[in-house]
Order: sequence, then structure tokens, then C-alpha cells
Amino acid sequence: MLEITDLHARAAGKPILKGIDLVVRPGEVHAIMGPNGSGKSTLANALAGRPDVEVTAGDMRLVGTSLIGLAPEERAHLGLFLAFQYPVEIPGVSNMEFLKAAVDSHNKALERDELSAASFVALVREAASRLHLAPEFLRRGVNAGFSGGEKKRNEILQMLLLEPRLAVLDETDSGLDIDALRTVASGVNAFASEANAVLLITHYQRLLDHITPDFVHVLLDGRIARTGDKSLAHALEADGYARLAESGT
Amino acid sequence: MTAAELFHARVLEDGRQLRNRPLYAPWLDRGPSLAALEDVPLPEPRSYTWEYSNPNPWYERNASGSDHDGSTEGIAASRGVEVSDFDAAESRERDVIDANLNATIDRRRYPLAFVNDVLLHRGVVIEVPAGASGAEIELGPLGGDFERVLLVVGDGAEATLLERPASPAHRIVECLVGADASLRHTRLQSATDSLEYHLVSSRVSAGARYRFAQYAQGSTMRRNDIHIEAAGDGADIEIHGAWHLSGRQHLDTQINVHHSAGGGTSRQTVRGVVDDRAKAVFNGRIHIAPGAQRTDAALSAKHMLLAPAAQAYAKPELEIYANDVKCAHGATMGEIDSDALFYLRSRGIGEAIARDLLVAGFLEEALGDLHPGEARALLNVQARERLA
Ligand SMILES: Nc1ncnc2c1ncn2[C@@H]1O[C@H](COP(=O)(O)OP(=O)(O)OP(=O)(O)O)[C@@H](O)[C@H]1O
Ligand SMILES: [Mg+2]
Repeated sequence: MLEITDLHARAAGKPILKGIDLVVRPGEVHAIMGPNGSGKSTLANALAGRPDVEVTAGDMRLVGTSLIGLAPEERAHLGLFLAFQYPVEIPGVSNMEFLKAAVDSHNKALERDELSAASFVALVREAASRLHLAPEFLRRGVNAGFSGGEKKRNEILQMLLLEPRLAVLDETDSGLDIDALRTVASGVNAFASEANAVLLITHYQRLLDHITPDFVHVLLDGRIARTGDKSLAHALEADGYARLAESGT
Repeated sequence: MTAAELFHARVLEDGRQLRNRPLYAPWLDRGPSLAALEDVPLPEPRSYTWEYSNPNPWYERNASGSDHDGSTEGIAASRGVEVSDFDAAESRERDVIDANLNATIDRRRYPLAFVNDVLLHRGVVIEVPAGASGAEIELGPLGGDFERVLLVVGDGAEATLLERPASPAHRIVECLVGADASLRHTRLQSATDSLEYHLVSSRVSAGARYRFAQYAQGSTMRRNDIHIEAAGDGADIEIHGAWHLSGRQHLDTQINVHHSAGGGTSRQTVRGVVDDRAKAVFNGRIHIAPGAQRTDAALSAKHMLLAPAAQAYAKPELEIYANDVKCAHGATMGEIDSDALFYLRSRGIGEAIARDLLVAGFLEEALGDLHPGEARALLNVQARERLA
């Protein structure tokens, strides 16, 4: 599904990713943990094609196609989805028309039939209610004035509608209350299948109690310092990153 | 002689000749305006409020004379609304015109109003009776180069005025909004290659509500002066401005909200998008007179530049002479937000559509509920499906 090899990247001219290797196969859930500033979001942004992240070496392939040089929208059409750590507010564009533009663009790029307005609205309403987002949130501007938790649920709503092959969730659990965490986790679990894969960036063990990862990676200073299974997350919770850094890889 | 002086001389000469045999609405006495114009100079390039717009081409275009094309169409009004052409006005309407024409206009400040008086090609007076509800008026092109619209909304009446695109050289729309009345006034201006200079002057009485929207594309030179007075206690004013300029279009908007009575509110929301080599000029002034205590005034003006050669000049101006007031203002200038653009593109939305969405969303903030559908169509905002 995803193959990252020796990826180096800079953000605003500063080297952040210093040789990442990662393979994600269909049906897998991977968690990436790591201290603040270690490069987790930069990795997610490099995948999604954020203009201010510059890949200087290495490769990223999604279903066999290199992402290097592709526009963000082309990566999305290939099946990549990034749930932003900080979703952007766009006050004058209604959430509903944004979702429609996103779904229409996918259908057009993939040469699928356009959805009628009525069936689209029904689809969105259904997904929104699964995430306990009231219809009011569809009329409001994109993320405009949404609470932190509402923004995160709105990201998952987009994921459910776009049905990506690879979903990268950048701290989608941060700022969620216990009920919202459950809602989001059950959304992700319902989405995850043998045909797709999930990359979860998180600081907290508690998300991994709801979504069981196949692998846990620890990112330190732009490199994957350790890979393990779910128990690695427990060890980190107990000992913190400092011990891991001392013990080396 | 400057272009302004040449034009001024031409207007005086025409005015003196016409004085004895005016072709249009001969009963109107142009004498006082003509006399006043003798010693009022017309605005020169680079003078106050003309820092970024050059009036000379407008003077030159109109110095050669111009006239009415004879049409008398251009107005539609719902039942109960009285519409009379100045030329056909009977004595009752003449009294209304005499009593109200220029009542809201400080013509030394807007000297083109004197010119309009002298050269007038077509004028209409529109009366909405006191207490009327749901009155609707639509104005199209009136057929002249110098046009005048006088709208009198009676006490407690409720009316909507929609100005469809028209591009005379000079149109003055004067609105008198009676006590506790409500007027919604939308002006649409489409792209033209004409030279235009317009004035909206409205007076809002006690307890009345006036909502005005200016939705525009540019022309070769289009200047809109907008003067709105909160003249009675508790007058409520809302102004929406949205423009989208491209090519070499030029649009200059000068809004002056004048609070002369207390307890009034005014809200100005302006969003301008400027592309290519176009130029937008905006001045939003709030004047709060000494007696206008408990006034609550706000102005938000934002411009978005889409191309390196696009220009915008925006300035808020506050003149506050009362102490118990609230006044908030902000003017910003920016480009398309790169984070928002990346966000949309990461959802598979191509760059061109993403930009259109962001431009539309930006302009949307200024539309309010004043003819938003017409505004979107005019502003070249992608036909947007309203889903909910
Ligand atoms: N656009 C940018 N300009 C300047 N510095 C940047 C930029 N993007 C990232 N950085 C820097 O790169 C480093 C890694 O940032 P990144 O956001 O990837 O960290 P993170 O692991 O996601 O941290 P957190 O857990 O706090 O979200 C930080 O030092 C950050 O300041
Ligand atoms: Mg981060």
C-alpha cells in the first residue's frame, strides 16, 4: 500500500526528516508516536504534498506510484487522505459545498458518475449522524467556529465520504472527550478494512485501547527509532521517550 | 485650464443657455444650483479622496455634451408605490420633489450634485406610502447620462430597492427613510468600459432600518460615493460591499457614515477581490457628531489580491466627537490563504476550483441577506449549489 524509503525532507529550509523507512500493507493499522517536534506532522505533510515541506531525498510510493512531484489533489485521487492536526477554518465556504466539491472532484478524477445532489445530501447526513455531528455543522462554514473536537470529527466525516486507501490521522484523538474519542474510534474501525490502511499519529495510549495497531513506531529526531507492537506504546506510556532515547535503537 | 476647469466652464455655459429653455422638466428651477456652482470648484486629480482615481477622463468624456436617449423605461414598482418622472410631475409630485431633492446632500462636499442639477437628463421620484409593507422597486438603465432618483419611504413603511446594472455617467440616488421604516437597497454594477461617477445619499430617521449593498465589478473608472446619515435616534444602518475586479478595471468606493443622532448602529462589511492589473480603492469613514451618544459603529474591510500587479488601497477613517460610543474598525489586505488552499487540495479539489471556492467564500462574508443570488451571479462566483 505505502512504501517510504530513506525519506529526507525539510520544512522552511530546515532538515526535519532524516531517513524514514516504512512499509504499510493493506489491512494494517500503524501507529506513529514521538515527542513534540520529532517530525510526525512533517511526515504526514510530506505524504500529502504540503508546499512548504520539501522532499530532498528518498521516495514515497502509494499503491506503487511515487508521490514525489504529484500535486496534493493528485495524491488524494490516488487514495491518500490526511486528517489534519490543525484543520483549517474557511468561514465563507459551507461545509456541505466543500464536501460536495471534494466528492465531485474524486468522482471526476476517477471517471465515476457524479452523485445527484439528493443522494449526496443523504450520504453526508448519514455519515454525520454516525459521528454525532448535527446537520447544523453541514450548513456552517468549513470548521468555522467549530470546537476542537468538532473539527476532528469533521475530519473523520471527510474520510468516511472520500473512502481513501490510506488514511493518515494526525493527532485526531487530541482534544477529544471520552465519548468523542469512542465515536471517532468506532468511525475509524468501521472504515478500516482489508482493502485500506491507517496510519495513526498519536501521543496517547488511550486511542490505541480503541483502535488496535499492528505496529507502533517511535519517531525521534526525524528517524524511526524503534518499531514494535502494541506493547511498545504501553512501555512508552510508563517510561516516556527519554529512556528510549538513552537506550538507543 | 485643467480638465476639471474646462468641464466646469462647459457646465456653466450649458446651464446659462438652458436656463431659458430647459428641455427636460422645465418647471425645475436650476438657477440656484447654477449660481452656487459658479464658485465651487470640481475635484482635481490627487486632491482629497482623489488620491488613487483620476477624474480627468470622466470630465473629458462629458465635456463634449451628452444627452438622454429618450427612453422612459427602467422602473418597475409594486402596487401602491408612486413613481413619477420629473418631466411629468404634477403639482403634488413637484411639491414632494421641491421639499426633498438634495435634502440629504451637502453639495459643497459633493459638487457633482450641482452639476447633476444643471445637466439633469432624467429624474424620477418614487414614493412609498407610510405604513406600506412589501413594497418592491427595481431600477434599470434610465436612459440618461445625468440621472436622479429620489426615493421617499414613508414612516413605518417597508421597501426594497434593487438597482440593476446601468452605467450612466452620473447617477444620484437619494433615499429618505422615514421614522421606523425599513429600506433594503441593493445596487448591482457589472463590468463596463465606461467612465462613471455616482452618489448614493441616504438619510435614516429615528427607529428606522436601512440596509445597503453595493455589489460591483469595475469599469474603466467607476467611482461610488456613498453618504449615509443616521439622522434620528436609534437609526440602524447596515452596509455590505463586495467587488471582484479583473483586467484593468478600476473601482473607487468612498463610504461615509455620518452619525448625527444618538443610539444609532452602523455595520460596514466590505470584501474586495482584485485580479490581473485591476485596482480597488476604498475609503470607509465613520463620523460621530458631538450629540450622537451611545452610537455603536463598526467597519470591517478586507481585500484579497490575486495577481502581482493587482492593487488595492483601503483606508478606514474615524472622526469621533462624542465620548459614549463604541467604534470598531479594521482593514486588511491579503492573498489567498495558502493553508486553506492546501487543505482543499488535499481533499482532491483541483487548484483552480479550490481558488474559486476561496474567493467565493471570501466574498460571501459581505453578502448578508441582501440579494445574495444576484450578487453571486454578478461577481462571477462559481454557480454554487446551495445544499443543506
Ligand atoms: N513550516 C515550518 N516552518 C518552520 N519550521 C517547521 C515547519 N514545519 C515544521 N517545522 C519544524 O519542524 C519540526 C517538526 O515539526 P512537526 O510539526 O513535524 O512535529 P510533530 O512531531 O508533529 O510535533 P507535535 O507532537 O508537537 O505535533 C519542529 O521543530 C517544527 O518547528
Ligand atoms: Mg504534529
